[in-house]
Amino acid sequence: MAEGPTILPLSFKNFSHKAQELISIAPAEQLSPSNPVRESVDTYVQLAGIESGSGYFAPNVPSGYTLVFELHYKDGRVEYELPSVRSAAAELRMAGLLDNIGRTPYDELREILVKTLAQSIWRKHPELQSVRAILGSLTLPSVREFEQGKRESYEFLYAYDFSLQNASAKKNDH
Amino acid sequence: MRVKTRVAEFLFPIETDSWLTVLRLGLGLQVTLYALSLRTDWAYLFSGTARKVAEALLSLQGHFIPSLGWFVALAARLDVPEETVLLLAWLGLFVSGCALLVGVGCRFSAIAAWFLHLCAAKSGGFLSYGMDNFMTIGLFYLMLSPLPDRLSLDWRLRDLRPKNPQLLGFWRRVLQLHLCIIYFFSGLTKWLGSGWWDGSNVWRALIRPPFNVIDPEILVRWKDFLPLAGILVCLLESGYPFFIWSSRTRKIWLLGVCAMHLLIGVAMGMYLFSLVMIVLNVAAFGPDLFRRKRQPIMLQPEAATS
Repeated sequence: MAEGPTILPLSFKNFSHKAQELISIAPAEQLSPSNPVRESVDTYVQLAGIESGSGYFAPNVPSGYTLVFELHYKDGRVEYELPSVRSAAAELRMAGLLDNIGRTPYDELREILVKTLAQSIWRKHPELQSVRAILGSLTLPSVREFEQGKRESYEFLYAYDFSLQNASAKKNDH
Repeated sequence: MRVKTRVAEFLFPIETDSWLTVLRLGLGLQVTLYALSLRTDWAYLFSGTARKVAEALLSLQGHFIPSLGWFVALAARLDVPEETVLLLAWLGLFVSGCALLVGVGCRFSAIAAWFLHLCAAKSGGFLSYGMDNFMTIGLFYLMLSPLPDRLSLDWRLRDLRPKNPQLLGFWRRVLQLHLCIIYFFSGLTKWLGSGWWDGSNVWRALIRPPFNVIDPEILVRWKDFLPLAGILVCLLESGYPFFIWSSRTRKIWLLGVCAMHLLIGVAMGMYLFSLVMIVLNVAAFGPDLFRRKRQPIMLQPEAATS
């Protein structure tokens, strides 16, 4: 509620932020991570599966993210590939991973996760010279826009260059 | 004192084990299908850096939250490779799911299924989604409930009986209350969202990859029904705790919620998510609805014969 667009007036957003802070006190989140009470509470909620509320796309359906790999071969060829899995069940999880990559506020974590996916591309194509990973956010058309011919589009967010010589990635922002 | 008694009666009702049978069978099927659906991608999803990062972040929240890393670290001391550990974990999950289905070693199978699934869900933290939470919730209640139930092989062949059958009603009540809280807040948040009133969120959910099972060209023909679908979803969820308890509205609400999950499964390709939600709902509120009314036994004295 504190983050997304709602039918409530904007002034309610401040209240939502305060409520969010208040709720975070309840599960002992204000205590130090090493505090035994906090650790016990955190462990219990994880074991019981109640560490996060499931909103089923509430209050709104968020936009998704996409990751495209630009494969640069030693002979100069360039090909494009998407991170792929074999089963439909794993595809749902991959979409979740891309959402996590897109939404995390931590650049280092984003880079590590993108690199993990790039490594699997590298294992598949050992003859590659370098890989560029391009992360984009997905914009969905409304019903009216769809009827007018507009389709889903992607907005560039980040690009990471990986090469065997250079273990850490070079990041390019939008 | 009267209030205390009424609270106790509400929390500890006398209950048969038919709901537990539904929960065991449903979650057994769920765990088995979960393992089968990830069979080809299991090693890819749970090996490598992403798992280590997820487990490192998890360790900040507590040192006793299980993960596949525990087994990998233990096996490394014995020179057992990571791939073998992951394969054994998958096999353990599959076998425990099958054992739950038939009702063999119910308590052990429920604990094993909960533990192994939790390890996978936590190790694949960045890959997990709502379905994993609901599986954990269901398996958590299942392993704490008084197993075995009457339809299990443990009961029929091994003559095993639950140790605390008086807790059957309590654990069912906890599951019922938990579902009410989940649906109420999910529905309430949706009412406040800007896109559920005009159906735009239903549209977005259905065309967003990888949930875009139905061609948008077909969907757009039904655009007038999207606002109705959005409002109906909000109504079903937020009204759940108010209409599911009354015997007059329970059947319609339960069928409505199950139909909603079935449609989500078919229209968005989220089959396992739908299955676990239907299982939890039917176990919590279903068994009494579809039980046939028994004919009252007539206790008339036989005609005296001399």
